[in-house]
Amino acid sequence: MYKIILSFRYLFKRRVSYLALLAVALCVFIVVVVMTVMTGLVRNFKDNNHKWAGDCVVGTESLVGFPYYEDFIKRIDGTDFVEGVSALVKSYALVKNRNLDWSSSAEIMGIDPVKHSKVTDFDETLHYRKNDAAKAFEPAYAPNLTGCVVGVDKWLMRDEDGKYSYEDSPYEVALLVSCFPLTSKGALAKAGTDLVNTKTFYYSDTSRSGLAGVDSSFIYLPLEDAQLLCGMAGPVKRISAIHIKFKPNVKLADGCEKVAALWKKFVEEKKGAEQAGLLDTVKVQSWKDYRREFIAAMEKEQTMLMIMFALVGVTTVFIIFVVFYMIVSHKSKDVGILKSIGVSKADVIELFLCFAFLMGLLGSAAGVFGGWLFLLKINRIEGFLFEHFGFQLWDRTMYAIGDIPNAIDLKVLAVIIASAIGACLAGAFLPSRRAAKLEVVETLQVSQL
Amino acid sequence: MLKLFLWLRYLRKKKIVFLSIAAVALSAALLIVVANLFGGFIDVFEQSAVKAMGDVVLEPPIKFPKYEELIRRLEQVKMVESASATLSADGLLHLGKGDVRGVEICGVSNLDTRFSKLERISGNERPPSENEQQVRGFVGIGVVAEPNEQTDEYDFDAVKRVIGQESVLTTGAVIKSQEDSGATTVRRRTIRFTIADVVFTGVYYLDKSFVYLPIEEVQRVLYPGLNGGVAGQVQIKLKAGAETDAALAEIRDVWKGFAAEQLGWEPYLISRTAIVTAKQMQSRYVAEFRKQMRVLLFIFGIVSLSAVLLIFCIFYMIVETRQRDIAIIKSCGATNGSVASIFVGFGVCVGVVGSGVGMILGDIITRNINTIEEWIRIIFGLKLWKSSVYMFSRIPNEIDWNSALFIALSAIIAATVGALIPAIIAVRTRPVNVLRYE
Repeated sequence: MYKIILSFRYLFKRRVSYLALLAVALCVFIVVVVMTVMTGLVRNFKDNNHKWAGDCVVGTESLVGFPYYEDFIKRIDGTDFVEGVSALVKSYALVKNRNLDWSSSAEIMGIDPVKHSKVTDFDETLHYRKNDAAKAFEPAYAPNLTGCVVGVDKWLMRDEDGKYSYEDSPYEVALLVSCFPLTSKGALAKAGTDLVNTKTFYYSDTSRSGLAGVDSSFIYLPLEDAQLLCGMAGPVKRISAIHIKFKPNVKLADGCEKVAALWKKFVEEKKGAEQAGLLDTVKVQSWKDYRREFIAAMEKEQTMLMIMFALVGVTTVFIIFVVFYMIVSHKSKDVGILKSIGVSKADVIELFLCFAFLMGLLGSAAGVFGGWLFLLKINRIEGFLFEHFGFQLWDRTMYAIGDIPNAIDLKVLAVIIASAIGACLAGAFLPSRRAAKLEVVETLQVSQL
Repeated sequence: MLKLFLWLRYLRKKKIVFLSIAAVALSAALLIVVANLFGGFIDVFEQSAVKAMGDVVLEPPIKFPKYEELIRRLEQVKMVESASATLSADGLLHLGKGDVRGVEICGVSNLDTRFSKLERISGNERPPSENEQQVRGFVGIGVVAEPNEQTDEYDFDAVKRVIGQESVLTTGAVIKSQEDSGATTVRRRTIRFTIADVVFTGVYYLDKSFVYLPIEEVQRVLYPGLNGGVAGQVQIKLKAGAETDAALAEIRDVWKGFAAEQLGWEPYLISRTAIVTAKQMQSRYVAEFRKQMRVLLFIFGIVSLSAVLLIFCIFYMIVETRQRDIAIIKSCGATNGSVASIFVGFGVCVGVVGSGVGMILGDIITRNINTIEEWIRIIFGLKLWKSSVYMFSRIPNEIDWNSALFIALSAIIAATVGALIPAIIAVRTRPVNVLRYE
């Protein structure tokens, strides 16, 4: 009990303790704010990737694709762990507005919008046909024409609030999409007199996945049309990937493992088939591995930021050390009295570590409270700064970021508080040991009193 | 002399002062490294635009003919070193079995001299070509190869094997109607060309997406009905030391004269021609990057305020434990100002030494950042810098002494501020209270 009483007493009676508290609170405040924003951005990015890719991807990077996919889909569609399956074609295309001297290269994705929406959140990314995937490729102005869905950043500009200037309904635009059709051996397939296949699609909607790279480069087409354009619609049809969604109770790793086992068995069975060689390039990956290249970059930035904060946090350890050093110097009489009534060295160390713990806890609490308050108002503060001083944390016309993420992650918070307390304990350890080593006979001698 | 003696004494007797020096050094080094890396990144980003487009870019609202005459006139301007015309379009490149990718086709009038020897994988040797009639083109290294996932380096031997290979490009061509209406339609066109060289500029988006062809070939394919060539843009390189504003003014005059005399353009069309420096074209992005850098430095600056608190604590402790020194000095007739200056001066010393160490540390880290990053990869298997993410193959490692000096100066001021209150406490010490014999 005396440890707690003395800890509180040192904390409130010694004004220098407030400085240590302030330092801890300042560091915790900054780290909570920055890490919450950063973690929020990374989490949003991961969620958007997950929503865009589904749970598992069986696919190849080769633009030739792979065959016999219908057999495999039949096999996994009936299993007890799969909720939805979507076959898709991915390739590069040259897209031209039929009426303008404008062309641009793009990535095309051929999908069955209904099936794809069961696996991903494709229907929710649409603007005009939101949650009506069946009509995704039906232009509102001419439902009989073949439509295409364009990545929103390829089509519209963002305003300074990050909002897109949508029309009330899509206007009529004919887009000529040209692709190199490839044979199953990867050579150029001659299409008539030309080396490329071209088909006209009519703009029917935009897709906003929240992934800048995807929204600025992809155009979604009906699966069959994409197969025709890419030369994958021969007697043995080919696709680029199968995206799979697992049932809610299935763990990601377990589901992927089961799909990988089924795929392995399937490849064995198809050995000897005409185009079986193409199956060897196919990989089974979880969405995290499939999008690793993009996710890893953001995770690395988060790690680097944490390392830099850890380095700066060393100063806090120094402050705690100095403050405790001073307190121990001034409270040598207390230590002498405690030891004279039988308190052990370990108890003295415990006393000061208890004080350090208290300091870490209160400093963290103050920092977390300040951080929480700031985060609560962060978007309003940014709005105010933008309105009066033209300052935005991120220029929304350039970055695909909406509001600043401000939901505190409890796990991150726990790590920050634990680190702050750990820093306090580390800083207090040496002075505590020094206190424990004080000799009663020296601290309580008359000349010292 | 007395002050110096006391400072040295405090340094010797109070080892804890080294903690404050370490804290200042650590904070200053961190801020210097962050400022240099971010600032270096922005500089390289700006420089990449110059690399891609030259110093000044002249771009009218529509394609224009007789560009050779414009180039001749521009090259007569004293401040202009050279000028070249370009014509660009998007296209698809078929490289081989199942290998198709989207590219930007850049028709240039100076294909053979556009890239330095170091940037050309073949080492500037004209590659063997069996058919001299075949169209020659250069491709960015990222178009034909992917950097290693672990090391982010290209396999140059494999890349060299691509030289001499035949490829096919497809793009859209503007076809003018033969009828009186003069309407234009867009048709797809293909270009077969031999990869004469692979270029590695170190700027990811240039290396990843550009195919360079002779401008005449791009003109022939994109504008087949036209007599003579057209260009979309003229890229101008200025002589070293040329004053940008004066050069821009002269180039504008040349363009006005050329467009009026040779093209017969209306003043409205002439005035809508963009004549800007490559850096100005990137200014929006650069401004955003600079803002991000300032935000980051501000955050680290606030966290670094802990160093001020630390100095305050340490100096407060020194003042408390050295009351007798202060009292003796005061009793010998030292003024309040002299006493305060002992501690403020000591704070300045801590700031100077700390920021000096911080600058040295920051300099060492910044200059060796690529080696450090490589060692992190070797030891932890963590590749922190990838050209596909950060645009450039190497981490910029130039020291910006202006920002380093600014940070060092801020650190000295911070250290002085930290010493201020303890100095005031020292001033308030009353010798009579401290030195009385009880």
